[in-house]
Amino acid sequence: MSKTVVKVASLILMVVSFIAYIAGVSAFPIASENLLPWSVWFIISVVVNIIVWSSVMKLLTFSLAVIWFYAFVAGLVPESSTAINLTSLDWSDPESVAEQGAAIFNGKGQCSACHTVDPSAPKGRCPDLTDIGANAANRQPGLDAKTYLIESLYEPANYLVPGYGKIMPEIWKAPIALSKLEIEAVIAYLQSQGGEIDPTPYDEPIDRADPGTVAAALPPLLTGDPALGKKVFVSAACISCHAVKGIESPAAGEGSQDFEVVTAPDLSEIAAFNDMRYLEESILKPGAQIVSGYGAVTVKANGATFQGTLVSQDTEQIVVRTKKASGEEEEHTILLTELDEEPIEELANLKANGYFTLTLTPADADASVSGEIVEETEDSVTLKVGDGTQTLSKTDVKTLLTIVNFDGDEIVGSVVSGTLDDDELVLNVDGSEEVIDTFDIEDSVFTRAFGKKLLVTSPMPENFPLLLSVSDLSNLLAFLSTLTGAAATAEATPADATETSAE
Amino acid sequence: MRQHQQTRLDIRGVACRFKKPLLLLVPLILLILLQTLAPAVAQDMSEAEYRPFPKIGSRNAAWIAAQLHLLFGSFILGVPMFAVIIEFIGWKTKDARYDRMAQEFIKLCMGAFSTTALLGGVLVFILIWCYPKVMSKLSGIFGPTMIFYVVLFFGETFTLYLYSYGWDKMQGRHKGWHLFLGVLLNVFGTAIMFVSNSWLTYQTSPGTQYGKLSDTTRQSWLESKLAQNPGMTQTEAMEGITDATVIPLHNETTGEFLATVWEAVNNFTWMPVNIHRLIGNIAFGGSIVAAYAAFRFLVAKTKEDRAHYDWMGYTGNFIALCGLIPLPFAGYWLGREIYMFNNTMGINMMGSLFSWLFIIQAVMIGVLFIGANYYLWSGMGRIDGAQIYARYRPYMIAIIVICVAIWMTPRTLSKISTSSELSAMGGANHPHLGLFGLMTAKNTAVNIIILTTFLSFLFYRRSGKSPTASWKKVGNIAISSIFFFSAVSIVVIGIVGFTVPTDLRVNVLTPYQVLIALVVMVAVTIIDIFMYRKATMSGTIKWGEMTDRSQYVLILLAITFTSLMGLMGYARSGLREAWHIFGVMQDTSPDAFTPLLSEAVNIVAIIMVIFFALVGFIFWLGLWGEKKKQQAVPTEMEEAD
Repeated sequence: MSKTVVKVASLILMVVSFIAYIAGVSAFPIASENLLPWSVWFIISVVVNIIVWSSVMKLLTFSLAVIWFYAFVAGLVPESSTAINLTSLDWSDPESVAEQGAAIFNGKGQCSACHTVDPSAPKGRCPDLTDIGANAANRQPGLDAKTYLIESLYEPANYLVPGYGKIMPEIWKAPIALSKLEIEAVIAYLQSQGGEIDPTPYDEPIDRADPGTVAAALPPLLTGDPALGKKVFVSAACISCHAVKGIESPAAGEGSQDFEVVTAPDLSEIAAFNDMRYLEESILKPGAQIVSGYGAVTVKANGATFQGTLVSQDTEQIVVRTKKASGEEEEHTILLTELDEEPIEELANLKANGYFTLTLTPADADASVSGEIVEETEDSVTLKVGDGTQTLSKTDVKTLLTIVNFDGDEIVGSVVSGTLDDDELVLNVDGSEEVIDTFDIEDSVFTRAFGKKLLVTSPMPENFPLLLSVSDLSNLLAFLSTLTGAAATAEATPADATETSAE
Repeated sequence: MRQHQQTRLDIRGVACRFKKPLLLLVPLILLILLQTLAPAVAQDMSEAEYRPFPKIGSRNAAWIAAQLHLLFGSFILGVPMFAVIIEFIGWKTKDARYDRMAQEFIKLCMGAFSTTALLGGVLVFILIWCYPKVMSKLSGIFGPTMIFYVVLFFGETFTLYLYSYGWDKMQGRHKGWHLFLGVLLNVFGTAIMFVSNSWLTYQTSPGTQYGKLSDTTRQSWLESKLAQNPGMTQTEAMEGITDATVIPLHNETTGEFLATVWEAVNNFTWMPVNIHRLIGNIAFGGSIVAAYAAFRFLVAKTKEDRAHYDWMGYTGNFIALCGLIPLPFAGYWLGREIYMFNNTMGINMMGSLFSWLFIIQAVMIGVLFIGANYYLWSGMGRIDGAQIYARYRPYMIAIIVICVAIWMTPRTLSKISTSSELSAMGGANHPHLGLFGLMTAKNTAVNIIILTTFLSFLFYRRSGKSPTASWKKVGNIAISSIFFFSAVSIVVIGIVGFTVPTDLRVNVLTPYQVLIALVVMVAVTIIDIFMYRKATMSGTIKWGEMTDRSQYVLILLAITFTSLMGLMGYARSGLREAWHIFGVMQDTSPDAFTPLLSEAVNIVAIIMVIFFALVGFIFWLGLWGEKKKQQAVPTEMEEAD
């Protein structure tokens, strides 16, 4: 009888403790003290059941114990929840907002999958964010800490930390899809890492209704004074190249001597057709987007060098406008086939350097291969040869050595034996071998390939943003944001009227 | 009088024979009705985006119903596969034991089949009620495949009836036709699984490679891209697009479906999931049958029954092992495809939200391999002459345990270490053991475990046999060399994997490791078969003399397989995060978040309890029917007399 009671009691205890453990019920209280957690009750009941019951019930006990064991093990490992339901942020307590941000950083936002906040951690997929709250202010000239963080979270490809690739997804898009409140909380958390939490609201630099775009027309990130910005526009010599209705261009010699005066786009209506993101980027990274017809180019064709502005370009020809010393402008139409092949010393970043065709000789071949560059990787380049394509290694190529001796003679050939450090060097020049005394060499250049090059750059100095203070930049942006055309007209009209009446 | 009684018996037999199919038709009809009406019903209810399910919530309700349906589905797909193989072996070897066992498997299937259909119906009902918009969207895309699914279901149902009820009739010269029915049953079953897989894989990866798209879809996609990006030229839109580029099958702004039904079916993860599930079903079905045999073994009253169920348990476990060994390879392929579809999803899976889930997975797979090996070693105890292999056992145990430990090593310890521990380690990784947390170490460990398990099986196969082939010495040297050099190669490749870029490791080194393991298994099996072709028996297998402990291992394996399926179901669905269709249809319900791992495993535990309770009930029904049949036969005989 007593055995039956034990059997039934242990069976009931096992079922109850299993259910209680799975349901997460708090431990059974006796005299207001928690006696033992349900997991312990369950283990005790399992042991008793296995001892007192016969085969079938033993089997059931064993099965339930295995199921429980896996649930128990899963309860031991660390876990992250994506169950975030932010409806508002309590900015009266910035620390609590930062805590919510930390939960998102480690959970739904999945930031911690790649970023560490631990200087001792080994280098991860993405930069360590220790003290990012303070360091963010120094990452990009002209961007304060919060603005930099906003930019980095919404458009992560904009400012890459050197040494890290473009792997961070846009977290406001699928699959992470953080809401604005969630991103605000993450920014607060990041600012709390060595910096001050800035509760100032901001406008998102995206249009959530249109996932296809990133930078919609938005108010400037930096607020400035348009009147002061107008002065910056003149003093920083922008006016030397860019025309704006209502501002007189200084006479030659009056502007800054730091810049060559070139033709640049008219900015009178720039804000009417471009969002502030574009303007900001054009100042911070002048070469990021070049307006058609205003790019600077230097090309070599038929032995002559043309340096000027790229007026137009299509698949067959380019038009380059050059300016003579007398100031007279001249346009040259050059077929792409007429461009000269230029020697290439290093086969790295060919496309980024403007090369669109390539001629090289593979190390194991006699004849050279020539064609349009279709694709380029770090180690290889794919050329369009005839109707097909051919992928060639960048490392296994025959290298030509061009030597200029002290007499001024130039010898070009492939190295047969020896190096420049030896006393003698044997070159294969047009099929015959020539022995070169290395003491006679005045200059030498290794050429790994030849290619046609068309590199369009911005005539605006790359270091332009470094010449401006943060306040200059914000004032300049504020001024540019007023150049909608309509405003210029509206401003111009009363002035004109006054002048007319004065007359 | 005797004739009258005979007629009565015949009528009773016929009535009994048709009662079960009619009962089975009830859930089937329900399912067909629901699936046929689903789009229309969903259309009518499309005003409501979500409806709550009382008490447990919509997600939990759908989760439990879907997982139970899938588990029963896996059982009824996996079991017929080896029932046919075993029946074929029995037919060729003229060993009636195989035929009896295959028939017993199919009897188990019959009960599970109606439960599967019923659960499918419940699932469809829950989905249509709780998620009308999602179902409307999915049925709008996959409507034709749903009709095809119903047709296949009819085919499978009636083939199963013919196969099961025709078993005794189609013996002798009709056996070939009966086997054909078995094959047809598997074709229907596999096709059904492939169709339903297309729906759920589409939810995870609604895109396919550019090279696989039709010209019409390419054009639609291009037009939608140009419409989304005013001012973009065709050349700009096509910049960087190659045949391997993943193309979404929807307009990314409006969500409008742009492709054909086939392209939606043949989405990025469809085939990897198909293969993974196909192999998984074999392993799962085998393990459930082995667990059934273990249960029958433990409650058996006679020696004959113990012998029969011992043998059935061995066969079930053998088939489960055959499925388990290639399963990690299929899983690796699936994981790789997920990375290729969406890198963020891949990182999320292995390096973020679900990274610790894979540690739990490693615990479970470790239990599976250790359990399977233990069962083989226990089995060798009932074979005379198997003792010679016992000396290798400690080394094999050590290898498997070390490899499982490597597989269970977490990559980073930041979430479970104190700051003093972190500073003592010099970072979030352990200075030495941290290396084992990398995929190259884990892949190496998996391949070595697989080879060791294969070696266990080889020893089991050889137990009690003496080869008579004249070249047995050379053969043994060859097999030993193959094992040794392949293991060394796998380890060396694993070490090299630490030093090369990820691309090279994922696309070249790991496939080489897999290839080596597969080649070893094929080559050694071929050599061993020829070497032991005319082997003399030095000892017999004493079926029925297994320990009770070994039978518990079979049950442990079945529960572990089932729990693993439940856990991976959570991972597969959870990867979508807050999306019903990834990147296309956002989950805006209150459940739009990924539950904690501990919460998920608790749900899985509840599912396990329900599943095994239902399976136990089906087994009990089988036993009950068997007992009644045994009692009825003498009574009827007495009446007839």
